Amino acid sequence: MLQEDIEAPFQSGAIISTSRLTKAFGKLIAVNDLHLQVMRGDVFGFLGPNGSGKTTTIRMLLGLIRPTAGRAVIFGMDTAQRMSSILPRIGAIVETPVFYPYLSGVDNLRVISTASGMVSGKANERRIDEVLELVELHVQAKMAYRKYSLGMKQRLGIAAALLTDPELVLLDEPTNGLDPAGMFEIRQLIHRLTALGKTIFLSSHLLNEVQQVCNRVAILQKGNLIKQGNVGELLRGSEQILVRLNEPEETQQAKHILLEAMERGANWISGVDVQLGRQGQPILHINAPKSHSAEINALLARNKLYAAELHPYEGSLEEVFLQLTTPSIPSGTRLGMAALAGSSSATQQPYSLSGIERLGDGKGGTQ
Amino acid sequence: MSLRSQTSTEGSMLLPARTSTVILGRQDYVFVLLRLIGMELYKIRRRVMSKVLGSIAIAIPILVFFLVSLSTFFVLNAPADSFAPPCQSSGGPAPSGASPNCPTPSAAQLAQARQSALRSTSEPLRLPSSLNISMQFALSAGTILIILLIGAITGGEFSIGTVRLIYTRGPTRTQFLLAKVGAAIVCIAFGILAMSIIGVLIGQALNPLSSIPQDFGFLSAGWVGQTIFYLLIAMLDWFMYAAIAIFFGILGRSTVAGIVGALTWFFVEPIVGGVLKLAGNFSPGPFGDFLKAVPDYFIGTNIGALLQNQEQYIFGGSSSSLSDFHALIVLAIYLIVLVGLAWRINKRRDVTN
Repeated sequence: MLQEDIEAPFQSGAIISTSRLTKAFGKLIAVNDLHLQVMRGDVFGFLGPNGSGKTTTIRMLLGLIRPTAGRAVIFGMDTAQRMSSILPRIGAIVETPVFYPYLSGVDNLRVISTASGMVSGKANERRIDEVLELVELHVQAKMAYRKYSLGMKQRLGIAAALLTDPELVLLDEPTNGLDPAGMFEIRQLIHRLTALGKTIFLSSHLLNEVQQVCNRVAILQKGNLIKQGNVGELLRGSEQILVRLNEPEETQQAKHILLEAMERGANWISGVDVQLGRQGQPILHINAPKSHSAEINALLARNKLYAAELHPYEGSLEEVFLQLTTPSIPSGTRLGMAALAGSSSATQQPYSLSGIERLGDGKGGTQ
Repeated sequence: MSLRSQTSTEGSMLLPARTSTVILGRQDYVFVLLRLIGMELYKIRRRVMSKVLGSIAIAIPILVFFLVSLSTFFVLNAPADSFAPPCQSSGGPAPSGASPNCPTPSAAQLAQARQSALRSTSEPLRLPSSLNISMQFALSAGTILIILLIGAITGGEFSIGTVRLIYTRGPTRTQFLLAKVGAAIVCIAFGILAMSIIGVLIGQALNPLSSIPQDFGFLSAGWVGQTIFYLLIAMLDWFMYAAIAIFFGILGRSTVAGIVGALTWFFVEPIVGGVLKLAGNFSPGPFGDFLKAVPDYFIGTNIGALLQNQEQYIFGGSSSSLSDFHALIVLAIYLIVLVGLAWRINKRRDVTN
């Protein structure tokens, strides 16, 4: 790729732009031919199962490892040549944050502030206090780091990443070790940072978490980028309207009516299927934007079919992810959702990838 | 958020301003390096390990001079007849209970003998011998302490994993390596000065016990100058082993590698040198000469030569068979190779788990 090809996106607001970025460890290709674009102000979700190359990519972006091929441009500067100009503008957590165990939390931040180019001594104490308060570690600031819990270590990592008030924040699994309240705080923090104009690059395998905070995502599998785009657009293709009628015969009847409607020109319906719900009851799955819920209800009512429950389902990143990464799962299959139980994707509990992979293996959850 | 124009090459870009509580220092190469050295020293200061090592370094001269003063005390309080010259037997067996060939020394002779014994026993308490004693311990035990410290501060970054944290903050890897080297130099200078000054002061404090006054007749501008050179060479001695610890710490990516590598070098090199010399003596001809010449290119041999060449001006004695020039060239090559390789490895290597 030509120089201008990769730097042009930067001119149009891309903060991170990679071109054919590749990393091989011997015969193992950890990241293959990665083209990535993160725009200013994005909360960019970087998804992939364990071992898919997420951390390797982040390490390449931070100059910890050298790409085997390709290049990365951050803030319009090539990481291979200008890393020392790039890094002061980035705050990062790479995997589980590690600090000096013999220093306290506040001493660790003092060391990092000096390493980050901030003046030594008392001048930056206020900033250190600010970030400690932000992550609610100010009470344990003087406790030795080795005595910190995993959640406290994670929070100190976030404090360190935010210490210099960077423009770009790279967070690699920032909620590891945090309890649900801690995860919620991190989400709130990400929202606050976005409001301040920061660009967030969030690597996570907690898909629900990513769906709640990110506006754009890239999905990586075995080192290959399989999808990159706007979260809304990705989810739009997987929107469904789920309808339960009282009698199984009514469900079949409703299916025929909807298929006929499709044939007559209701092109907003892209598919109709009947699947069994948790209690074994037939559920009508209509592939259609949720904005057409009322029309479907009216159509069925005109044919004297009255929905016992109607649930517009916007789809989840989890499903999009699984459909993209697990070929055995057919499009439209609902996994792990509380369909018709009144639960929207936004209120579902997060699923770990390992859990999803089990679901993908057909060992449970597929309806 | 307020925006300001960026000044560097990507001129078209607007940067969000940092919050006012973030106060950045000067970003010139040297200023960044100096701040990083300060950061390394801060970490060392806060570390229990360095406090323990520092305490040991201070305790060594104190202990040594207390032992010397203890032996002085024993000489001072020993019975007078223990200073009688040994009896010289000159014939057949002496009758029981008598020593006809051993004249009884007079009280004045015994007092003189006591004074002589006292002078030699308490000599290490006074300058310049006290400096010599302090430095001998600094160059042996002190070297081990500095290896432990530098091996830990270098290899520890990899063992703990903090290298990941540090390498993503802005300064270059070269600056981080130089900061380690700079911190090592500061610790070495501080350590050598502390051990020598504490030794000399303790010696001076305990010397009145011997009732022999300190004679400052040796003191001259020349002597002070030579002593400064001597201390610098002692620092170089420590620095050589610190460089080995840095090299192995980076190569092996662990504290253990740094410490074990340097300690092995410190202890094994003299043994190898001795074996080669011995083998050279048993192998006549050019090969034997070669074997005998090999230790002349060892770190310990060359540091020893520099120290010996300097000691003759301060404490007396003869000079080494190796010249200062030879020793400095050999040591410079070692330093370039050790630090250069450490730099090269550190700069190019991927930081993984």
